[in-house]
Amino acid sequence: MGMDVLEGGVQTTVQELPGRVGFLDLGIYPGGPMDHIAFRAANLLVGNPANTAALEVTAGGFKARFQQDGIIAVTGADTAATLNAQAVPGWESFAVAAGDVLALGHSTRGGFRAYVAVAGGIDVPEYLGSRATFTVGGFGGFAGRALKKGDTVQLGIASAGGRAGRRFDPARRPAYPETWEIEAMRGPQADPDYLTSDDMSFFFAHTWKVDRNSNRMGIRLEAHEWQWARTSGGVAGGHPSNILDNGYPVWGVNVCGNQPIILAADGPSLGGFICAATLVQAATWKVGQLVPGRDAVRFREVTVEEAVRLAETVDRDLFVAVHGAEGSA
Amino acid sequence: MSHSGHAIIDTIPAAEGRPGVTYRHAGDRFLLVEYGPMKLDLTMNFRVFGLNTALTRKRIPGVVETVPAVRSILIHYDGRTLPPRRLVDALIDLEHEVPAEDDLVIPSRRVTLPIAFVDRWTRGDIERYGKFVRKDAPNVIDGHNVEYIARYNGLDGVEGVIETICATAWWNASIGFWPGLPFMFPLDPRHAIVVPKYNPTRPWTVEGGVGIGGPCVAIYPVTSPGGYQLFGRTVPIYDLQARNAAFRENPILLRPGDRVTWSRVTEAQLEETREALAADRAGYDIVDEPFDVRAYLSFLRGVEPEAAAFRRRQEAAQQRVPVP
Repeated sequence: MGMDVLEGGVQTTVQELPGRVGFLDLGIYPGGPMDHIAFRAANLLVGNPANTAALEVTAGGFKARFQQDGIIAVTGADTAATLNAQAVPGWESFAVAAGDVLALGHSTRGGFRAYVAVAGGIDVPEYLGSRATFTVGGFGGFAGRALKKGDTVQLGIASAGGRAGRRFDPARRPAYPETWEIEAMRGPQADPDYLTSDDMSFFFAHTWKVDRNSNRMGIRLEAHEWQWARTSGGVAGGHPSNILDNGYPVWGVNVCGNQPIILAADGPSLGGFICAATLVQAATWKVGQLVPGRDAVRFREVTVEEAVRLAETVDRDLFVAVHGAEGSA
Repeated sequence: MSHSGHAIIDTIPAAEGRPGVTYRHAGDRFLLVEYGPMKLDLTMNFRVFGLNTALTRKRIPGVVETVPAVRSILIHYDGRTLPPRRLVDALIDLEHEVPAEDDLVIPSRRVTLPIAFVDRWTRGDIERYGKFVRKDAPNVIDGHNVEYIARYNGLDGVEGVIETICATAWWNASIGFWPGLPFMFPLDPRHAIVVPKYNPTRPWTVEGGVGIGGPCVAIYPVTSPGGYQLFGRTVPIYDLQARNAAFRENPILLRPGDRVTWSRVTEAQLEETREALAADRAGYDIVDEPFDVRAYLSFLRGVEPEAAAFRRRQEAAQQRVPVP
């Protein structure tokens, strides 16, 4: 029993949290959803544990027919989702019956990724401890790739907690603006020895346009003429952005030559470019909703202590938004 | 010494027998530890492995995983239970427990891989590069990159390069960028060839292709773009299907700290070995053999005059060879 894929869309993958942890030294980034808030919200709405395998639908265009009854929720970007051509609410669980067709249109009102959670989760085999699809390595999720027409995705067995009509508190729903503010810390190769403090002031003051050429590996931002605190990369290469290869923190902001790139869920684990900043865990979800070629980003500098507090707040708010309004867990 | 307002959390100045250490923030879940100045020095990498071993043994609660690289180690930690300042304090304490380089013995394996030099597969990639990307690339001579490596290093043609590559073991400093891709450096400085990378890069490299960029040798785990000068092809080092028992635990053959030595074979022999490995009729030649840094450093001192002579010849040659 499962779900027949009628249209795969631009890129629909099975994801799971926390992704594939513990393999960075073999070159394997964790994968997992690009937006951990909408992903977890979808799961909580259908009564799953927040980290359960669910679908990440990039830019919409996904269509599937259910082989069985169930409870589902669609969160994230507004894709004007329909069930049998009738509009269904976002950020709210609802029932589907065998034969029903769920269709996600293309997101036009902000945000870039939608999440579809099914009570019981998506039943794909674990690979290296996770069901997350790692597009670069071609493994995990459904056959190591994005879903396409003709696939049948197996669904898990729902626990008793799933029910229709559970809503995510509309007042707490994350906003998907065109200009984002993303909390970040100075990266390992910021100032004073790689970039100047003026470079970093610019980095945190400027509104960066998101390049069209962005995906689960990296989000490219517009190029900038940096001052640099040094004239060359020495033994590592001619350009001052070159360093002897080191491990990249997940969700770091590389500067490659002059171009900043946010390393995302499927990014490279190691490389020879500086990391000017690192997004904080609580804020990485925003990257998943950046619309390539349209949105822009400002980075707000926070301390590591603020970052940890922010992560706790985000986790608490998420739980309250699903369960708090009803006064029960 | 404590810093605020930028990425550096703390430093330990260099002292007799110990390189300086820099602790840098890398977000709220990662911390970067760097040894010594930004230059290529394998003893810094041994230090990295020394710390990695000590960290593994210590099992600091809140440390999730570590990523060793040439002169740094990236530490993934849980900032909710382990504040970075406490982690840095623990690392500074640990630094006193890591033996001086001389006393380090690093967990390591000797991995012998067959290689067909100047093979038809990598020559095919290079031919397409000439046809579709750059016709006049100075690094392509006689349809391959090995003659260019020879000229850039003052070596005696293709055979000179092959002898040089086979004369040293290659130390795998780290795995990454692509899943399973090793970054390997020569352990014998008398054979430490260097070469500039492709410009522009090559859109295709066959799986198992072996190349060099700067001082670093890489094996391409899957068919992919690349920028290193190709000199041969070896057996699979990445296998999602786990066709060979070597991939039973994970799809990646090599580990940081492995030493790879090359065994020269013909194209036909390579094909045969690749088939035997895929059918699990043959195994990979891997032997556990801890790496004794004291013995290695003593070897280094012994060969330094010859290594210096090699570098002088290399530097003289580089003046005469164009960069791509």
